[in-house]
Amino acid sequence: MSDLVITKNIHEKDSFKIENYLKHDGYKASARVCTTLTPDQVIDEVKKSNLRGRGGAGFPTGMKWSFMPKDSSKTKYLVCNADEGEPGTFKDRLIITRNPHAMIEGMIIASYAIGAHVGYVYIRGEFFREARMLEFAISEARANGHLGKNLYGTQHSFDIYVYRGAGAYICGEETALLNSLEGKRGEPRLKPPFPAQVGAFGMPSCVNNVETFAAVPYIITEGAQKFAAMGTEKSGGTRLYGVSGHIERPGVYELPLTISIRELINHCGGVRGGKKLKAVIPGGASAPMLSAEDIDVKMDFDSLMKAGSMAGSGGVIVIDETVCIVEMACILLKFYEHESCGQCSQCREGSHWLAQLFQRIENGGGTMADLDTIASLCGNMAGQTICAFADAVTGPALSSVRKFRAEFEQHIHQKCCPFKKDHKHIGHKASSVQGVPGVTHV
Amino acid sequence: MSSYEISKSENYLNYCSDKIRPLPVTGPDAKPLPKMTLDGQVVEFVPGDTIMQVAERAKVASRIPRYCYHPGLSIAGTCRMCTVEVEKAPKLMTACSTPATDGMVVRTRSEKVLKSRSGVVDCLLASHPLDCPVCDKAGECELQDYDYEYGPSRSSFVDEKRVFPKSSTRKLSDKIVLNMNRCVACERCVRFTDEVTKTNDLVMLNRGWKKELTVGDEDKGLYNDYQGCLSDFCPVGALTWSDFRFQKRVWFLRGNASICDRCAKGCNIEVHSEKEIIYRFVPIYNPKVNAHWICDEGRLSYKMVTNSHRVIAPLLEVAGHGPTATSWETLIPVTASLLKNSSRALLVLGTDSTMEECENLRKFFSKFVQNGEIRYFNGTGITTSSENKALDHLLRQNDKTPNTKGVESLGLKPLDVAGVNGFDTVILFRSGRAGIPSVAAAKNLILWGVWSDEEVRAQKNVRALLPGLATQEKSGTFMNCDGILQSFKKAVEHRGYGLDVTRIIEKF
Repeated sequence: MSDLVITKNIHEKDSFKIENYLKHDGYKASARVCTTLTPDQVIDEVKKSNLRGRGGAGFPTGMKWSFMPKDSSKTKYLVCNADEGEPGTFKDRLIITRNPHAMIEGMIIASYAIGAHVGYVYIRGEFFREARMLEFAISEARANGHLGKNLYGTQHSFDIYVYRGAGAYICGEETALLNSLEGKRGEPRLKPPFPAQVGAFGMPSCVNNVETFAAVPYIITEGAQKFAAMGTEKSGGTRLYGVSGHIERPGVYELPLTISIRELINHCGGVRGGKKLKAVIPGGASAPMLSAEDIDVKMDFDSLMKAGSMAGSGGVIVIDETVCIVEMACILLKFYEHESCGQCSQCREGSHWLAQLFQRIENGGGTMADLDTIASLCGNMAGQTICAFADAVTGPALSSVRKFRAEFEQHIHQKCCPFKKDHKHIGHKASSVQGVPGVTHV
Repeated sequence: MSSYEISKSENYLNYCSDKIRPLPVTGPDAKPLPKMTLDGQVVEFVPGDTIMQVAERAKVASRIPRYCYHPGLSIAGTCRMCTVEVEKAPKLMTACSTPATDGMVVRTRSEKVLKSRSGVVDCLLASHPLDCPVCDKAGECELQDYDYEYGPSRSSFVDEKRVFPKSSTRKLSDKIVLNMNRCVACERCVRFTDEVTKTNDLVMLNRGWKKELTVGDEDKGLYNDYQGCLSDFCPVGALTWSDFRFQKRVWFLRGNASICDRCAKGCNIEVHSEKEIIYRFVPIYNPKVNAHWICDEGRLSYKMVTNSHRVIAPLLEVAGHGPTATSWETLIPVTASLLKNSSRALLVLGTDSTMEECENLRKFFSKFVQNGEIRYFNGTGITTSSENKALDHLLRQNDKTPNTKGVESLGLKPLDVAGVNGFDTVILFRSGRAGIPSVAAAKNLILWGVWSDEEVRAQKNVRALLPGLATQEKSGTFMNCDGILQSFKKAVEHRGYGLDVTRIIEKF
């Protein structure tokens, strides 16, 4: 078992408080960066660590930071993407509630590297409690002199503001997030210009995920080599996997990228109730699903890409044999139909079309021609729009048909859902959040 | 002074761009312009151009279909219709937003591109009501055109179509009717109210497939003064111009270039008519005057031309009956003798007369009348062109006649406070736009030009009326409020006994 980057101390009491973080040498990395290193050295260190963005696209973080204009007189903004909306993903919430100072320290280091003096944390609207906890952590950091003017006696100043979203999935896309941050409609922007040139309020901006920032202090403290060695050749470090679905012990697990899906499932206690595994969604709902035969694939970005899926946000959804894949795809597509921002023609109309089509197949009204329609429609959508949302829609739609075509044909030939007798979709139950210390319930 | 001749632009309105950057100054040490290949044709471009602008410059913009792109609005890049294949780019690029680079190789009609466009049209038509037989846009609809050109032969959509019950026939204002079911969500209208009129009175509500166009403020509704433009550039029949709804199928209409004479701006318009009956005015692109737009007041001003109360036959006063219809042969000798016998005559030229009419009438007047004077009269709230003010940041002017500046440039003086006192015979010449001075003091009144029944009856001393032609029925030259001379040709044939000034003068 390799070293843990983010979740090492989260099981301690009041792990979100600054005393606890300082006890484990917290804010030493940011102090060292601000006082002894130059911004370029920091970026080099992060580049060497092979840290890749943990939000879903897996873009090399050091590269992203180096795109920020160096000699520009413009104000620069650092934005933390805490709009964790991907179904099946709940890793950022863990960081914010259990280890927020790692993220804040990471942001301080990043702000120093890119020369930003203002940071925004765009947190999803539903994370009300988490936003309060984050505000608390920021005020603690501010009180301890880790945020504010002239940090650690240097010229560098940095402060963080929390901005709550209004509940749109698409605002997790970085340019839609920036639009939403500016108070506009949360619709992705045309690229180019990229946020590094024209971002928040027209200024150069750098947007990173919560987990990405939280990994940065470790890289500075322990060195890039050690971090890189934990992962594969192209992506370093560990990853938080939010494992949910039909699994014995669901939860967030920090594991190396080199782990395979089979190992991950076994690590979490195997499929719930000893049932047979049917499918796995390896990286949040938009990642194409993998069938039970494919689960020996490693969980790093490139291996999953090769297997026809993607590492995405690290939300692993385990699906056992009792699940009707058509119904599951149908539920996912309903989500996408509801969350498409509606800018691009294909995505707006296509997501609605697909949702209707899958519902019809599930209800027993499908024809074999519908399966071809799904393929051609997804072909029209994927890669043709401003943002990656259309690709995300086609993920579950295409992969479910490709991997479980027999089940679709069964629906079509029997003119009903073969699972309907003993399977009923139960709506989302409000999870208990009791016991989060230090937070008054509202 | 040379004048700009208004003509129908070769391309449709949406293909004329004011986004084309000026060519850089050429000189001995000027760098050669970068080049790119567009469908095998090597074209030069100015650095900063997008692929769409390069195509516009090369006059092949019509090869690239578009919904959200409009040359007068900002770039949205959302309809995905203008995608083109760029060599070495992994994905298709939108022509409207991708900057051209030196040596770029672009194909606008490759197989990949056609497949993508077919996909877009297929998606757009999935929930489209396909009510073309009753849609006013049919025939000039970009969804129809592009479906015909790029769309799939048949749709595989068999589910229920999306319907917006509240916005299926919603009156956004007295002038515009919204049918959201037909909308392709290009948001040209939203950007128009945001950027051009700056009224923000149209917004999109909700997201995704439930996206619905609505007014920004329910109490105010749609209130900008350029609502007709919404219907012009709406690529489908979602926003229709109330005045034109269910009036005429567009393929019957003949479009001829002319000028709008409703105010001093002189917007270039295309007159759409069938059998010489005008059905609507639409703007012609002119970057110096009106760009892509015209105001609603101007758009509706065709009603004066087709007014059923307009006098289109010569009138002669019959004692006890007032002005009565007669023939030119009867009218001309009577008018001629009235003028010859007058002791002191006044010719009042409305500021809606063309330059040519003013010249001809001046010659005619000095030939026929020994003791006469000529004045001009505006009568729309101002007296001289210096009092004219712009009513907004776009086009609308305070001066509601088209040629005040032009008439002044001929050296004429305005009708002063004394009015017609001291003149026994007064000729009032106007084309329906200029006001009418008080002429009750004159013994004999001769009306000339475009008059309505009510206007004639309001005058008690009318001896004769010589019906003339409205602006759209004749050719001529106007000088607009910015001093731009614009000449125009006859757009429709006059449907009455009215004659051009030169023809009437010949009869004397």
